[in-house]
Amino acid sequence: MRTGHLKTSPGQLVALSDSPAVWAWVGALAVGLILLPYLVGNYMLTLVVSAMAAVIGAVALNMLTGQTGLISLGQSGFLAVGAYANAILLSDYGLPVWLTLPAAGLTATGISLIVGVPSLRLKGLYLAITTLAFSFIISHIILYSEGLTHGPNGIFVKGARLFGYDVQRGWPLYYLALALTAGTILAALNLTRTRIGRAWIAIRDHDIAARAMGIDLVRYKLLAFAVSSFFVGIAGALMSLQLRFVNVDVFGLILSIEALAMIILGGMGSVAGAVLGAIFLSFLPEVLRIGFSLVTDPNSTFYTNYVYEIRGIAYGLVIVVFLRFKPDGLVGMWRDAKKYWSNWPLAY
Amino acid sequence: MIATPPVASGPAPSAIASRPDRPVVLSCQGIERSFGGLRALKGVSLEVREGEILGLVGPNGSGKTTMVNVVTGFYPPQGGRITLYGDDVTGLAPHRVAQRRVARTFQNLALFKGMSVLDNILIGRHVHMRPSALGALFYWWWAEREELAHRRVVEDVIEFMQLQDIRDEPVEVIPLGLQKRVELARALVSEPRFLILDEPMAGMNQEEKEYIARFILDAREARGVTILIIEHHMDVVTAICDHVVVLSYGEIIAEGPPAEAIAHPSVVSAYLGERAAKRQRGGAAA
Ligand SMILES: Nc1ncnc2c1ncn2[C@@H]1O[C@H](COP(=O)(O)OP(=O)(O)OP(=O)(O)O)[C@@H](O)[C@H]1O
Ligand SMILES: [Mg+2]
Repeated sequence: MRTGHLKTSPGQLVALSDSPAVWAWVGALAVGLILLPYLVGNYMLTLVVSAMAAVIGAVALNMLTGQTGLISLGQSGFLAVGAYANAILLSDYGLPVWLTLPAAGLTATGISLIVGVPSLRLKGLYLAITTLAFSFIISHIILYSEGLTHGPNGIFVKGARLFGYDVQRGWPLYYLALALTAGTILAALNLTRTRIGRAWIAIRDHDIAARAMGIDLVRYKLLAFAVSSFFVGIAGALMSLQLRFVNVDVFGLILSIEALAMIILGGMGSVAGAVLGAIFLSFLPEVLRIGFSLVTDPNSTFYTNYVYEIRGIAYGLVIVVFLRFKPDGLVGMWRDAKKYWSNWPLAY
Repeated sequence: MIATPPVASGPAPSAIASRPDRPVVLSCQGIERSFGGLRALKGVSLEVREGEILGLVGPNGSGKTTMVNVVTGFYPPQGGRITLYGDDVTGLAPHRVAQRRVARTFQNLALFKGMSVLDNILIGRHVHMRPSALGALFYWWWAEREELAHRRVVEDVIEFMQLQDIRDEPVEVIPLGLQKRVELARALVSEPRFLILDEPMAGMNQEEKEYIARFILDAREARGVTILIIEHHMDVVTAICDHVVVLSYGEIIAEGPPAEAIAHPSVVSAYLGERAAKRQRGGAAA
């Protein structure tokens, strides 16, 4: 039975995971991910890199919305900031990619503080609308500051080299994405179990009690904005590397909805949930495409014509169904299943 | 929240038991606080001395919780001055007051619903946690070592409050009496110098009440905490408090050793008035 471990030392209490089985799985997964470029073709690798950008974005949004309880529809805005910062510094200023990636994150952080400060007094719906307005303002700024962003023409992203490899395609891009994703997940897991992550969750669960515990609401909410948007900025930068061309149309509202759907599907507040939700929804369009090609005749362009609408509907459905029936998301379902099987056949 | 009427416990002791001359922990002078037109606190002055258990009592709506909220920074006073260990803390934000090692519990439970019992209690350590943001990000060995030290304090309090069996339960599913105890544990792990308890025994049976009373006395004994307790159960107040302050309509109407303060004529009539008012309301409804 995997339940009811007896923990005998405090060291075991704070370890990331106490179970050798979990570490074995993590090890197997790591090996699999490292060998992936030898196992799958380029098309699959491209899909995986997109999914990784989504994972970084979802894990980051989870800090702000899932853990701190600040509902944000500004995800697309922060992605755009990260992508443009990376693109401009790389293509127009010729800076190396190891510098432009953190710079993209920091730019997003800087801008998040501008949004964060006026948002401090807002909650729920009001905050959602404010962050939504923010992402529209960002698109407008991008469109109208042509000197910096090339306005409606968009911008080509080129010249990203790391150790001599072109990290905008193939396996070098894949390994860069893998490193960024692993770093983000590790950082999120570590934040979750220290003072900062606990303070965020406390604010979400009961802000009055949180203050009585000595938690400075202003400071920790701003910190949530800052840290979350740093990683969203990195996700945006990664997207720009892969796409090799960005313009405002890439960063539509659908990206914000998609990110919210990911953390709701996975289970709000859980890092593992954000990862799972992002992976599921990233591959959903692909699954739908294959599904449609099976049921419609081969020459039908129905799916390609309506791909955005279909995705939108799918995200909407996920949000509604999970919020209504499975508010703990995939992670909650997994937990229930584990409990059921480890106690089976005793329905304790 | 049904007030136990004070028992007139014979004649008051002839010599007025004077309060030991210990250092002043909390001093409030002329505290004013209104809500709209309602003057909830009308120039309240009181002192809490080191190591004592001070009982703050009074009929429903007399301003006890408001007083606590003023002291802990939730409702900045509109007049008056508050000093804590000699420092002026008037109008300080709640988290700043908490950082001065003042812990409190709430009349209507204020637990973190989404967390386990253990995580709730761990948050009580917040004021002592110091890893930097960067340290937390990468969880270097020293951050881990600090975490271990916090865990030890928490496990001590869990044992002290006898919460071992429910440590990993989600806090939502445990009975009310235990939830109250978790809240008390959360306050204790912050190693407060001054602890404020707002009706810690509300809704408890006799046995549970005695349990909590024991915890409170032990906390003072073992940890040297100064305690302010709001409580409606007069038997408890008489049993554990060293000094009692009675509020009525935002004013102090009596103060002194428990038996004397409670037996004071104006206190008896304040409570009787409340009972009469209740009876009248009941009569009108019938
Ligand atoms: N936030 C608030 N807004 C408006 N009125 C308030 C507020 N808080 C308290 N009051 C009013 O102030 C008065 C004192 O309330 P308070 O909660 O301090 O009483 P209490 O002595 O704690 O009573 P109880 O024994 O019922 O807990 C009451 O009339 C109450 O309605
Ligand atoms: Mg009260």
